[in-house]
Amino acid sequence: MSDIAFIPPVQDQPRVLLVEDDAAIAGAVIAELTARGYAMTHAETGGAGLDLAMGGTFDALVLDRLLPGMDGLAVLARLRAEGVRTPVLVLSALSAVDDRVTGLKAGGDDYLTKPFAIEELAARLEALLRRPAETRETVLQAGPVEMDLIARVARRSGRSLELLPREFRLLEYMVRRPNQVLTRDMLLEDVWHYRFIPQTNLVDVHIGKLRRKIDPPDEVPLIHSIRGAGFMLKIVE
Amino acid sequence: MTPMTIAKPLRRQSLAALFGTASFRLTLGSSAILAAVALLQFSLIYWRTTEYEVERADRLLDREAALMAAQSPGDLLEQLRLWQTNDLRLLITAAGLFDADRHPLAGNLVEWPEKLPVDGAIREIVVHPLDQGVRTIRAEALPVAGGRILVIGRGLRDLQQIRGIMLDAIETALIPALAFSLAAGAWLGRRNLARVGRMQQAIDAIMEGGLHERLPVGRGGDEMARLAASVNRMLGRLEQLLDEIKGVGDDIAHDLRTPLARVRAGLERARLDQARLDQSRLDTREPGVLPAAIDRAIVDLDQCFAIVTALLRIGEIGSGRRRGGFARIALDAVAAEIVELYEPLAEAAGNRLSLEQGGSVTIDGDRDLLIELVANLVDNAIKFTPAGGAVVLSVVRSGGEAVLRVQDSGVGIPPAERALVLQRFYRSDKSRHIDGSGLGLSLVAAIAGLHEARIAVLDGPDGAGTVFEVAFPADRATL
Repeated sequence: MSDIAFIPPVQDQPRVLLVEDDAAIAGAVIAELTARGYAMTHAETGGAGLDLAMGGTFDALVLDRLLPGMDGLAVLARLRAEGVRTPVLVLSALSAVDDRVTGLKAGGDDYLTKPFAIEELAARLEALLRRPAETRETVLQAGPVEMDLIARVARRSGRSLELLPREFRLLEYMVRRPNQVLTRDMLLEDVWHYRFIPQTNLVDVHIGKLRRKIDPPDEVPLIHSIRGAGFMLKIVE
Repeated sequence: MTPMTIAKPLRRQSLAALFGTASFRLTLGSSAILAAVALLQFSLIYWRTTEYEVERADRLLDREAALMAAQSPGDLLEQLRLWQTNDLRLLITAAGLFDADRHPLAGNLVEWPEKLPVDGAIREIVVHPLDQGVRTIRAEALPVAGGRILVIGRGLRDLQQIRGIMLDAIETALIPALAFSLAAGAWLGRRNLARVGRMQQAIDAIMEGGLHERLPVGRGGDEMARLAASVNRMLGRLEQLLDEIKGVGDDIAHDLRTPLARVRAGLERARLDQARLDQSRLDTREPGVLPAAIDRAIVDLDQCFAIVTALLRIGEIGSGRRRGGFARIALDAVAAEIVELYEPLAEAAGNRLSLEQGGSVTIDGDRDLLIELVANLVDNAIKFTPAGGAVVLSVVRSGGEAVLRVQDSGVGIPPAERALVLQRFYRSDKSRHIDGSGLGLSLVAAIAGLHEARIAVLDGPDGAGTVFEVAFPADRATL
């Protein structure tokens, strides 16, 4: 197991609008995301956020649900009504599953409950910005890993991997998102479609099993643990 | 202020309160009705008697007048003179024969009754006969032979006697009865006032925080006692709920205190260590002890959040709002999914996790919550089963119920603790060292409650380990 510091891919600085009224949270988020190479813009109210989002060209929005003036979901609904398709990550202190569903129905692309780890926010934001294109390809490739989705076969450097169906699903998800931080919650939600918080480190155990099959001791490890965040399929091109 | 000056207004107040009591007002009201009815009865009897008496008097007068008028003037004069000593006196109590100038000739009437026209019609007049006092009589005046005028009348003496008797009856019967019922009312009112006063005292004590206080019920089971008993039952339930809330609050405080205390101690120690480190070396760029301490603090804080999140979820499920999302769910498929999800975990813990194959069992429920329920039971079973053990799931239909069983070969739960394990925050002493919010089984209980399922905690088949059994009711299972 190797811990590495996450270095964000610095392309042309993704522009992110944060609409959040809590100064402490906003400060922490802006500082961290700026350090990770994002160009941050901040609005404290729903109205100001809406104006900025309509006028500016942002790559993504991080939108708090409970805002003074205009509610976050109302901002979202207006944006979508005006045809603004910018991906939106909704933040909320409301944890109920129903609230999450309404958040996503209103046009949000992802939903994060407060309190959240800043790593979780960063990982989800990155996932929003680097959403894998819908592909009809039946063969996936990431570095030495090759997957045939029809034949349900996975190989590393030509060597066939004996994977259980659930391990195959997990690897497929990771291969579609190489060099991207994948948090435990993201994996649980996207691979297993579960919303509950397990009492134990379930995801770690699953990743551990997959890692033993993919990364033999004598080869360069592909699956990396990202300290305090989750996991990454690291492919050096 | 002296006691004297308080006593007076207090007394007046208590008297006003007495008159204000429902029982006093009720007796006052019923006494008034009783009196009115009695008076009405007396009046009716008196009125009917009067009518009868007057009619009888009038009939007599008419008959006698006709007889007397038919006599010759001499006979009539003679008869009237004799009348006072004669039987006729019983029928005619007043009579007078007047000449054309209204001078008396015979009889006990010596004054001409001015109010009596001479037309033979009977009227009620007041006269003063020679031998009697002033009295009211029925009388008629009619012309007789010789230009004279005859006046005869009959007193209503019987009627006056009857009236006297009736007034006596009212005095001797009705007034004491009324006085008695008013006294009874006052007594009842006072008694109720005293009872209410005792209840008010008890309520005041309750409002001041003594929720263990109860209202005095008293003997006899009347409506007030029943009301007091009802209120006492309500108080009992409230006290129980408050105790539960307080217990949960205490648990939350306690379970949050532990990780928070760890955070605080860890951060404090790290700061001291860092300060010592800074003093003892020149190159402060070297990493200190802070990152590790911060990591530990974050882990502990995350546990706090996990507790808060779990509590919010229990509250959300307990509120029952989610029943709207119920659908047909294959319980065996949910169990199979969870077995697949947790199998690597069991394997890592050196245990075997398996699902006993059975038929398909569907119930009405919320899929996400059912997954959470099964996951928590399995998670719990794996945690409490030492390496080399086994956790077995089964889903069967039994007597119309859909029964999910999670059986482990772990440490087991003493019978005395079985009911407690489903309460919020309960963890038996053996498990204090095991991580988690401690709320997994409380969540299970809340989800089962939402599905109207019943949970049983049983011994394992060979007396070893524990079986958690969740039975979904027949109507939900067979719908």
